Amino acid sequence: MLIFSLPFLFVVLKARIQQLQSDVIVDVQHAKVQFVKASKSGTGASSGNSPKNVSGERTEVPKAGQTSCKGGGQTGKGGGKDASASKSRWMEKLSQEKKTKTKKLKQKLGLEDKPVKSSKGKLMLPGTSHKTISTKAGIKTASTAKKSKTLKNQEHTVAAAKQEHTMAAAPVAAANVPIRKAKGKGKALKEMAPELSEARNRSEELAELERKAEAKARELAEVEELERKLSQWAVSASPELVQDNSEARVYGDVQRSVRCYLEACVFCGDIDRAHHFLLSHHRMVSRRNLLNIGLYNIMMRVWAKKVINFELMSRVDIRQNIHIHVFIHQKHTRPCSIRVRPCCLFQRDLLAVQRLVWHKALVGALRESRMILSSGTQKAVKLSLYPYLCLLDEKDYVDIMIQSLSNLPPSGESLHILAKELGNRVHNKFCIRMKEHNQIVDKLSHIYNEYTELLAKDSKEFDVLPRERWWKLEAEHSSGPSLLGDETHWPHMVVVELGTYLVDLMVKHMKVNSDILNSAYDRKLIPVLYHMYTFRSNKQVGFIKPHPILTQMQQDAMDTTLTFDSYVMPMLCPPVPWTSAKFGAYLLTPTKMMRAVEGANQHEILLEKCQDADLHAVLDSLNQLGNTAWRINQPLLDIIISIFNDKGSEKLDVPPPNSEAPKIPRYNQQDSVTFTSAEKAHLKREVVNAKKKCSEMHSLRMDALYKLSIANHMRDEVFWFPHNMDFRGRTYPCPPYFNHLGSDVTRAVLVFAEGKPLGPGGLDWLKVHLVNLTGLKKRSSLAGRLEYANSIMDDILDSADNPLNGKKWWQNADEPWQTLACCMEIANAVRSPDPTHFISHFPVHQDGSCNGLQHYAALGRDVIGATSVNLIPCEVPQDVYSGVAQQVEEFRARDAEKGLKIAQVLEGFISRKVVKQTVMTVVYGVTRYGGRLQIEKRLKEIDDFPKEYVWDASHYLVHQVFSSLKEMFTGTREIQDWLTESARLIAKSGSTVEWVTPLGLPIIQPYHRSRTQMVRVNDTVKQKNAFPPNFIHSLDSTHMMLTALYCYSAGLTFVSVHDCFWTHAITVDTMNKVCREQFVALHSQPILQELSNFLLKKYCSGLLTLTLVPKPLLRCLGCVLRVVNLLEGEPSPPD
Amino acid sequence: YGKCSACKARPTLKQPASPCSPRVLLQRRTFSLDSLSSGPGRPQPQQARTDRASPSSAPTHRNLSAVAVSVQDQSRPLGRYDFLDLGEVEENTQRAQLCRTIRRFIIDPALAKLVTHHLGPDLEDSKAAIFECNPGPGVLTRTLLNAGAQRVVTLEGDKSFLPDLQALECLLDGQLEVVHCDFFKLDPMGRGSMRPPAMYSDKLFTDLGISEANWTDEVPVKVVGMFPQRIERSQLWKLLYVLFDRLSIYRYGRVELNLFISEKEYLKLMAKPGDMLNYRAFGALWQMACHIELLHKEPWASFVTSSKNKLAIPKSRLPNDNLCLVRMTPRKDLFSSSLTPSNAATLVMMVKQCLAKRKARLVDRLNMWSPDSGPKLLKEMGMQEDVLTGHVYPMEYKQLFELVDKSQEFTQSWLYEEVLENTQKEGWI
Repeated sequence: MLIFSLPFLFVVLKARIQQLQSDVIVDVQHAKVQFVKASKSGTGASSGNSPKNVSGERTEVPKAGQTSCKGGGQTGKGGGKDASASKSRWMEKLSQEKKTKTKKLKQKLGLEDKPVKSSKGKLMLPGTSHKTISTKAGIKTASTAKKSKTLKNQEHTVAAAKQEHTMAAAPVAAANVPIRKAKGKGKALKEMAPELSEARNRSEELAELERKAEAKARELAEVEELERKLSQWAVSASPELVQDNSEARVYGDVQRSVRCYLEACVFCGDIDRAHHFLLSHHRMVSRRNLLNIGLYNIMMRVWAKKVINFELMSRVDIRQNIHIHVFIHQKHTRPCSIRVRPCCLFQRDLLAVQRLVWHKALVGALRESRMILSSGTQKAVKLSLYPYLCLLDEKDYVDIMIQSLSNLPPSGESLHILAKELGNRVHNKFCIRMKEHNQIVDKLSHIYNEYTELLAKDSKEFDVLPRERWWKLEAEHSSGPSLLGDETHWPHMVVVELGTYLVDLMVKHMKVNSDILNSAYDRKLIPVLYHMYTFRSNKQVGFIKPHPILTQMQQDAMDTTLTFDSYVMPMLCPPVPWTSAKFGAYLLTPTKMMRAVEGANQHEILLEKCQDADLHAVLDSLNQLGNTAWRINQPLLDIIISIFNDKGSEKLDVPPPNSEAPKIPRYNQQDSVTFTSAEKAHLKREVVNAKKKCSEMHSLRMDALYKLSIANHMRDEVFWFPHNMDFRGRTYPCPPYFNHLGSDVTRAVLVFAEGKPLGPGGLDWLKVHLVNLTGLKKRSSLAGRLEYANSIMDDILDSADNPLNGKKWWQNADEPWQTLACCMEIANAVRSPDPTHFISHFPVHQDGSCNGLQHYAALGRDVIGATSVNLIPCEVPQDVYSGVAQQVEEFRARDAEKGLKIAQVLEGFISRKVVKQTVMTVVYGVTRYGGRLQIEKRLKEIDDFPKEYVWDASHYLVHQVFSSLKEMFTGTREIQDWLTESARLIAKSGSTVEWVTPLGLPIIQPYHRSRTQMVRVNDTVKQKNAFPPNFIHSLDSTHMMLTALYCYSAGLTFVSVHDCFWTHAITVDTMNKVCREQFVALHSQPILQELSNFLLKKYCSGLLTLTLVPKPLLRCLGCVLRVVNLLEGEPSPPD
Repeated sequence: YGKCSACKARPTLKQPASPCSPRVLLQRRTFSLDSLSSGPGRPQPQQARTDRASPSSAPTHRNLSAVAVSVQDQSRPLGRYDFLDLGEVEENTQRAQLCRTIRRFIIDPALAKLVTHHLGPDLEDSKAAIFECNPGPGVLTRTLLNAGAQRVVTLEGDKSFLPDLQALECLLDGQLEVVHCDFFKLDPMGRGSMRPPAMYSDKLFTDLGISEANWTDEVPVKVVGMFPQRIERSQLWKLLYVLFDRLSIYRYGRVELNLFISEKEYLKLMAKPGDMLNYRAFGALWQMACHIELLHKEPWASFVTSSKNKLAIPKSRLPNDNLCLVRMTPRKDLFSSSLTPSNAATLVMMVKQCLAKRKARLVDRLNMWSPDSGPKLLKEMGMQEDVLTGHVYPMEYKQLFELVDKSQEFTQSWLYEEVLENTQKEGWI
């Protein structure tokens, strides 16, 4: 074997020296630590110093293997067989690997491993030492194994099968320890050997020993793998583990933090720390209860992986892989951050220089503080931050810190939020790293490329869903690591703690010269950030404030680049389809399918519990929304940017720069002497208002800068928005800044990447859409709107041709930018030779008219109500707000006649506008209190209205609005009351309100008041009040998803902004048809009955007897609603 | 007043916390009354609890004109020296309990007497007006008048009590004024509609004909009453802000507060440096601004509550068995050449920032304001370099601020501008 491999060895040696180098360093460190320990623990053995030979070691190891096989039970045996089958192949590879390594070690270690030498030098005599060592190793194995056995015996009372696996697992890990040790010592030894040839002989000997041992280890690893699977089944089979009683959750939290800690340790190569940590937990009975099998498995896997990694490396040249990685990243995912050129450019580089200084300071500080952390904490059971600080390069941490600076508003940010942000960014980066590390990226790129090819090839066929396609591909590539990865989301505490640590570094080590901007000041090194406190209703909140110098610098030297994490950008390739609740959207950045409030993990548990098939419809609709490709409407973007770079325009919703902000009045002591106290108070108030205005303007400006910069960056690209949803199933695009849910400006800039001809009715739809966007003609029929559009064609064309210099008709619209975009599209279409063949990329919106009320009206079979929200055919679109206003006016007139003062005062002031917001939000649970505030605001906007009556009038009006709604929607109130009452009973009994949407999505209300970190208390009031609106929202989202799915099968492009649906002009009619059909289909189901059944089954099975029958709602379900105008109402008001 | 400054009080004020201190705690009111009545300098003849309802025992030096026994059913005009009848305890209790807002009342005549006693020996001669907050059925009001108070202004927030009080007002010769106003809603922070009981202080004072006074003048107004329990702390903060800024009621001089606050809040108010848990900016600032004197402790049970269920006695780690009648008299020497109402907000801000964490080193906090000047300042103050913020006395903070204010380095500090922003969060305007 030696003869065979030597020539090969030398060839490989050169090529791979670099990779192995790093690997070796890790190894050596490890060896070092073990070494010291061995000399401690093995004192008893070494005194005897009876030279055991290598064969002794050999016999020892198989024993350990056998024990583990027994422990593993039947599956273990199976695993053993498999292992022996592949044994010869592994051996061959291993031997090559080892030889390469030892060869190289000879060259390397002489320089590298000084500490080992010095520490052990006295003890070792060159000739005999390796035997001594292996002896010790052997003894250690035995002792560890013994120890674990005794533990096993103790544990027997606990008795669960799982536990036994765990215990069996321990010896396996133990068996691995000596192997590593032996190897490490071998290296140390070789380095000391005077003659090279002798050393080589020994190393061959050692290598052989290692090879065998590792083959064993590999075998064990496979056994372990099987065990793991078994344990997973065990876990999933025992439902009590996932029950949401608080005790289990507490355990869950602890387990999660322990697990994350171990994973972090393992990832950064600090296996010893992990090992130590687990063992010390294990030794304390109180803490042992907190461990679960998964935690032991992490350690098992590590030891096993150590061996496997050599295997993988010898099979594939890793450098090639790296190339592939880079390629994928650049092309598809851009792993961590993106530099975007913002719309406005300035020149100064003062900030850039400062950044370099800070960077250096922070790297130094991080290194130092990490060193301090690393020493001393080893033995503690306490979780230390240390491993979390070793996951990335120092540079990466510092980059994250410095980037966060540019997002810091001048008025500061609460420490908690800042820390959370930093912690999350580290976590994201770590997850990506981990995927690279685990070779997932390779596999992913493979599958992804095939997936996109398929997607591109048969885009015209819709018989296979993206999810199914992906599944098929994944099944084809079943070997290798699971794509799911097994990273755990870090517990909130860890994220915040890590973030706080980083913020603390920033506060302490980022300094600037005080005279940097104004040389008149004395030069002093002052901190850039300050940790202060603000006080909010007697609570003190930690706050990080930037020094005004920093703010000034940032404003002066407006960066030429903005750096974004890749996941805030739209994707440049189609998102990965959601195939389960855990996997989808971005390629590398971990994304949750369901957004959750921090610390709330009930959703995840619930989603994990539910059958995969139940979620398919939901997954598919998310995929469909995410698969819509977008492009930038370039001419419009240019106009907006030109205004943005000029002075902005508040009227057009383009935020002006800070230079336009009001000057903050100076308030100084000299002047104030002459002021009366009233004047002083007034002045103070003015200063406060000016400051508030400034910081508002700043944040608006920055927000617009981000959006426009991203749009500008995407100018020539086709891009996608991956989607996820909130706990009620409402869908949202993942990228936060720039997406189609945004303001008028961002919506106007987006068009579909795919173009479709306008067809016969398309142009008319464009025109109707235009009128809808203006907010005019709300009460006209579609024909009326179209007619109106035709009558103002001159204005439309003028707007399109001279947007900034013409008559500016578009600027007075409700949604000016979208109106302008629509004008341009119409102009282009009209001027094309044949408008029906004009290829349009323009999305036409269809808004629901007060969706919440529509669902209530349909649920309650309210005829009047249904008519007023366009569920029943009418010639003219109905307007529920006008209807309510009319009804209120009637009540008012009656009261005025009776002589009610306030009713008389209100004469002539009741309009649609006054009641609109309240009507809209009543469905979503607005209270009288909130409603009164809304109306008060509206009344104050009316100049003529006498101010002294505002309070009384708003009080009166909100009452009237509620009663008119009750009159118009008789069923609505009853349903709301029933829902509220049910939720109250459920919450009072200590449970959380849960239900399942008609599409099978399980929903749980995440309202808890957390008293401490561990204990969460059900927030009864919130559970109760939020149930009706949440339930309606979930119905609404169900309807949207149904529409999305049916539009997909009809080949439509479909996008939703909650209750506003977008599609191409040619397909509007089809979409409307689908939408109506699905609405009817949805409400033909006995929704309330099913909800009632579900609640009864879930909550009333035990002692609990609640009245959960919707008495008033069991009306005749025979009458199927004729939904006609569902989508032809006016544009929906902004949320 | 003024004989017991916060500074002087500090060594002794720990005592009230221990329930067995005989000096301050009066175990039973009957007992306390007896002990007080037997004491020297008691201005009024003793009136035993048993004969309190009898008008015949009215003292001869009454300077009141007339009043009815119970105003609503009888309007028998009384002679000049007639004693105001306090009404039946039962009846007063019932009326208090009918009140729609949740609050506590002084119904017990003996308690009312005790409060009156503490308001000073010179009620007849004092020129200071007495503002009585939320008198309810008016037991204390009548007691005050009986004791010879020259000018009582009742600020009643609940409309239902107004008619009775107004009737009383009519019967008297200007000693009593009744205003529909809630003292604790003066100069509200929100922008809601300004209608009674919310009110601007300048309107109240102008209507009453009280004009602005110098800070060093005698106390123009004594306020007596009880903090609404739910907003105790925020009210104390609000008053503190207006005090340091000399706004609201403090525009009219050094208004003296004689208010019942919960024992726990009192103990926090008077916490000493070194008590790292309870020594907070709130207490430090009050001690800095006022002489604080504990006049009396009264068990919670002695007060009548309008709703029993909803007004649970707040739990606390500190003892909280009593309501404490506390007198807070603004110090004459609070403002000086370096501390003025216009920069006092900065002082408030400084103390708040420093005491947010009591175990922080003072030098670090100061360095944050102006780098490197912390050690210098501490040296000037004669303090240890490593002194913790929680070990610094209120007066030392004041001195520190005066030094800070003089130093050129600090006036450059941007934190000076922070003050305005922060007060807005408190919303005191």
